[in-house]
Amino acid sequence: MSEASTAAPMIETHGVTKVYADGRVQALAGVDLSVSAGEFVAVTGPSGCGKSTLLGLLAALDSPTSGTIRVGSHALEQLHDANHFRRQEVGLVFQFHNLLPRLSTLHNVEIAMLGSTRPHAERTGFALGLLDDVGLAHLAHRRPPQLSGGERQRVAVARALANEPSVLFADEPTGSLDSHSTEVVLALFQRLRTERGVTIVIVTHDETVAATADRTVHMLDGRIDLEGPTP
Amino acid sequence: MGMSGVALPPTASDPVTQGHPEATRHDRPLTMVALVATNLWAKKARSAGIAFAVALAVMTVVTLTVVSSGLETAASAVLTVGKADFTVAQNGVSDILYSNIDTGQLERIGATPGVKSSVGVLLETERINAANPLFIEIGIQPDDLTTFGVTVVAGTAYGATASKEVMLGWRAAQNLGLHVGDTFHANGTANRIVGIYSTGISYGDSAAMFPLPALQAYNRVPGSVSLVFVKIAPGQSSAQVQRALTRDQPELTTISTLAQAGRADRNLVFLKAAVTGSTILALVIGAIVVGNTMLLSLFERTREFGLLRAIGWGRRRVVWLVVSESLVLALLGSAIGVAVSFLVTTVLEALPQLHGVLHSDFTPGAFWRGFAVGIGMAILGSLYPSVRAANLTPLKALSNE
Ligand SMILES: Nc1ncnc2c1ncn2[C@@H]1O[C@H](COP(=O)(O)OP(=O)(O)OP(=O)(O)O)[C@@H](O)[C@H]1O
Ligand SMILES: [Mg+2]
Repeated sequence: MSEASTAAPMIETHGVTKVYADGRVQALAGVDLSVSAGEFVAVTGPSGCGKSTLLGLLAALDSPTSGTIRVGSHALEQLHDANHFRRQEVGLVFQFHNLLPRLSTLHNVEIAMLGSTRPHAERTGFALGLLDDVGLAHLAHRRPPQLSGGERQRVAVARALANEPSVLFADEPTGSLDSHSTEVVLALFQRLRTERGVTIVIVTHDETVAATADRTVHMLDGRIDLEGPTP
Repeated sequence: MGMSGVALPPTASDPVTQGHPEATRHDRPLTMVALVATNLWAKKARSAGIAFAVALAVMTVVTLTVVSSGLETAASAVLTVGKADFTVAQNGVSDILYSNIDTGQLERIGATPGVKSSVGVLLETERINAANPLFIEIGIQPDDLTTFGVTVVAGTAYGATASKEVMLGWRAAQNLGLHVGDTFHANGTANRIVGIYSTGISYGDSAAMFPLPALQAYNRVPGSVSLVFVKIAPGQSSAQVQRALTRDQPELTTISTLAQAGRADRNLVFLKAAVTGSTILALVIGAIVVGNTMLLSLFERTREFGLLRAIGWGRRRVVWLVVSESLVLALLGSAIGVAVSFLVTTVLEALPQLHGVLHSDFTPGAFWRGFAVGIGMAILGSLYPSVRAANLTPLKALSNE
């Protein structure tokens, strides 16, 4: 294994299963995953193998049927304030519907700071700085319907960083983007990793997207079946 | 190791220290208030619909309240035509003007311990003209005028058994443009105005006084009066005298404040009950309209709330957002409802058919009641939708259909 394994991993799961309410769908059937701090991991696998389910559990959007998950210093099964965890510790990017169409780009970033500890006076400046980081400061006052798909995803990344999380989870962040926008977003992830040391886990169907990650985790039927550095 | 320890220390490119040139001018920070305003503005038609429903309910409640309190004031006005410590009426009549007290009862009132004086008066209303559809006529003996608090300010008092003689209150004389010596058509005949009087009470001064037998004869109630105005002897307790009086004659009731007018006027009691019922009905219907609209919008906004929960909003913040959106609309709707109600009653009062009958009593109480109903609707109506919103799973945001 790489040198990162000497420190405690950033994300660690043990025997995580998820059975959906009706009891018939076993979405996850025992996942053991370990991600080092600052690592960029791509989760791949056929449709329905449990990728989104796993990501949702890591982000404390839902809780596992059994097994344990630790993210940073948080054992998720003992989390008393999941909202606080989601707000302060993780950034989330989805494939669709990331932004509120009524709000400006800037306010779409700021909305993640409502309820955060950052002083009000600093929020707008900080959000603009993040938009600048993703190369979109000049579009701060546009609304999402007036942006391209790639621009929207970059705004979503900026929002995900609003509370300076140490991990970023993205579910098919490039799934609906053309190849150029995909490249821009992937370059952004690379920069976040190298410049900010953010730990990144993305779910993707796309082999070329997965290839930009440090490591690919391949899933099949709710389990990890292949794991290793990207070729 | 805490997760925050992993984040890099601020660098030269850190957005906080950097400060962005774009941030200089119009950027107001996003607050919950701004978010509420944006959301309401984005759905103008729906917002207007909710505000309209609230306005309609509030308008109904406020209009009913002010009109009924106006009617109440007018109906109990006859109680204040004379000076007294308390008034005696027949128990449980539907309208205080139907109260009927005979000579024997009147004498027993006068003989009740603690009673200093008792004046029996007959009260009738008559249509004089379009502006005075409910003109008050008082039948009273000339001997009782002083006790009743009447001062003759022009001319003289009528004779005890005179017919076709009348005294006008100074306000009535002024309104009708009549003077001593003129003719006043009322009580089925042409009466000569022998005097103008003043009681110092506005309702009394807007009425006319007739010799008691003349008014009794025309209204075919010989020997009866409507109300007895009682003054108590010095050092007596009004409450004790009233108790003694009603113990002695349980078919009578005593009224010492306008609020007690309902004792002798069941129409007022029914009216108040009708207003209360309508208020509750308006509140419930309004809450259902608000709740239904909120619920529909909630289904539309499932993904929005899911996203907010996913990026770390707590349940309480989501509830707060939903409730404040409807509260803002409720305040707006209430303000409109109160304003429209004011206009409506003003117009109603001016209608020829209702002129002089309808008095709206626009009190601060009616104003606050309107707002209370509007806010109550919003809170009741958004209770269930906001709980639904709060319980949306944040996973909803991940799904895409
Ligand atoms: N809320 C739910 N209730 C019941 N079953 C669910 C629910 N969500 C997901 N599943 C099922 O769990 C399994 C895993 O779903 P998941 O969304 O994690 O797959 P995925 O790997 O993300 O697929 P895709 O690549 O198509 O997004 C699927 O069989 C799916 O139908
Ligand atoms: Mg998925």
